[in-house]
Amino acid sequence: MVLINLWKESGKFKLGMVITLFLLVAAALNQVLLRWAVGPDVDPMTAGSFGIFLDPQRDHLLGTDRFGRDVFSLVVIALPVSLTVAFLAGAMSTAIGVVMGFFSGFVGGLTDSILRTFTDMFIVIPTLPLIIILAANTRNLGSVKLALFLAAFSWPAAARVIRSQVLSLRERPYIELSRMTNLSNREIIVGDILPNMAPYVAIGFAQASVGSAFALVGLTVLGIGPSGQMDLGRIISEALGYGVISLGKEWIFIAPVALLILLFLGLALISQGMEEFFNPRLRTQT
Amino acid sequence: MSTQLPATTLETIATDASDQPGDRRFLRNNPMVGYYSRRLGLYLITLWGSLTATFFFFRFLPGDPISGIIAQLQTRGQYSNLEQSDAMIEHYRREFGLDGSMWEQYQRYFERIVLHFDFGPSVLSYPTPATDLIVRAIPWTLGLIGVATLLGWFIGVIAGTLVAWKRDTRIAEWITNVCLVLSHIPAYFVALVLIIFLAYRFNLLPANGAYNTTLQPSWSLDFIFSVIKYGTLPVLATVIGAVANWLIGTRALVVSILGEDFLTYANAKGLSPRRILMSYVLRNAWLPQIAALGLALGSVVSGNVLIERLFRYPGVGNLLVDSVVIKDVNTAMAVVAMLIFLVLTINLIIDLCLPLFDPRVKTSKS
Repeated sequence: MVLINLWKESGKFKLGMVITLFLLVAAALNQVLLRWAVGPDVDPMTAGSFGIFLDPQRDHLLGTDRFGRDVFSLVVIALPVSLTVAFLAGAMSTAIGVVMGFFSGFVGGLTDSILRTFTDMFIVIPTLPLIIILAANTRNLGSVKLALFLAAFSWPAAARVIRSQVLSLRERPYIELSRMTNLSNREIIVGDILPNMAPYVAIGFAQASVGSAFALVGLTVLGIGPSGQMDLGRIISEALGYGVISLGKEWIFIAPVALLILLFLGLALISQGMEEFFNPRLRTQT
Repeated sequence: MSTQLPATTLETIATDASDQPGDRRFLRNNPMVGYYSRRLGLYLITLWGSLTATFFFFRFLPGDPISGIIAQLQTRGQYSNLEQSDAMIEHYRREFGLDGSMWEQYQRYFERIVLHFDFGPSVLSYPTPATDLIVRAIPWTLGLIGVATLLGWFIGVIAGTLVAWKRDTRIAEWITNVCLVLSHIPAYFVALVLIIFLAYRFNLLPANGAYNTTLQPSWSLDFIFSVIKYGTLPVLATVIGAVANWLIGTRALVVSILGEDFLTYANAKGLSPRRILMSYVLRNAWLPQIAALGLALGSVVSGNVLIERLFRYPGVGNLLVDSVVIKDVNTAMAVVAMLIFLVLTINLIIDLCLPLFDPRVKTSKS
């Protein structure tokens, strides 16, 4: 019900959803796309399947790279890997953010001050160097581990959104009413606060996913990604590694760059659309 | 539920009591002293906390760093004895500050960096101290970030104010939408586009290094021009996204200011639109954006690591990646500590300068 209204009222949300769904569907159909692009017998990662540096053409929509691999099929298998890590990291950092923000906002007092100082510190200091060091020093870096590292540094955004919302909810008259009727803290949290938090958790999730995806791209363009798997950033870093720009073969990394920009844009539009919808004061401003 | 008295009541009581302690009266008469000392205290605590976290972060990385260090020194021909005798390992352990218990190492780490600004030897160019590598690299990074941040902020805030002021025109709407998209594109991708077109296709600007390597670093005019020429693309890559970001933020801020009563009043007084824009709107817009400048710095520094890598710019970001690749713990730790110190200190300076620009900070209680 709320979702339908949101869809109808917010152009930003609608556009963001269309972009994100397009990426998700493309990622889900990767086997189908792969079969269509190179047939069932070719492993896209195997070198020498085709001629090297072929220009984009009918059989190779995005051409081939230095190792004679079809770039389109590389992109097809890389997209789900990048999306999985970004959304997994987004979900994990939302979980951390919800716990931190909720605790901070609901308990208040000294706990709140300490947690807020801690959160602010994480927002102020540059975290990408830390993620780079952590990821580079880990052997067998799988998607889950990588997502966990990203989440460990991108939760403050979600924590902030949740905390400010809890603070505002705590002062609402109906909470006061529940307190006067002697409901326990647990009942107030479950019955009154949590249902009203859902949209803000969603906003936090979108923001945390954007943050994680940003850091993920930073890592993978340096060549640090989930080991043994192709992801969008790795296509870019490999291509740069053998000097595609000086060779004039930039089309090899155009598709991964475009897909990643679409991901950032889609998620950012979703979170902005939701923020404006659930916080009408923002809507009048823009 | 709430047994606390409202703050105003407490205050009245405190003012009425003639026997209030002298220090409290002093703080009341000089509210800025309280602001400065609180801000300074918070800075010291945050700095200590993040430097401590940095130390333990590096010590708890998987694997014993000493074996990696010795392996690296061997491959770099610094130490040809292939057999890692216990005495050798012990020697390097001591030299790299990795001997003794965790607590001893921690104490030594703090003593060294606070008193002597010493991070131990680097592996990258052993036995040069990591500090020397940092000191060599930091001016380049500061130059890059400083110019890009200030330029991006300045253009973004002014353009954002104008775009909000003229928000009904088609061109303002168009600029806003373009910037909305641009603000979500990482500086790294902007840099790729700039390199492809400006450096390779049209061959206008160099995209590799910080200056023409045939010149000797000096204060000669040739060298300075070369630095500017080589720095243009990396700065531009950061500036484009920064302008878009500040423009969007400032626009939202100004649009909310435009509805305020004091502007209606200023208008009714018959002030010229230019006067209203300059001394009523812009003044209210750029003050909050100064405070926001410090918060944005962390992500600028993060993004700059990638930019420096891409342009092979000899700053600390490039140094960091070089040191991470060969597991040079001391250098990587020095870079991280340095970046955190820089960001926190610039934030402190901004906060301490804020009362100079914004009279409201002086009177606010929090």
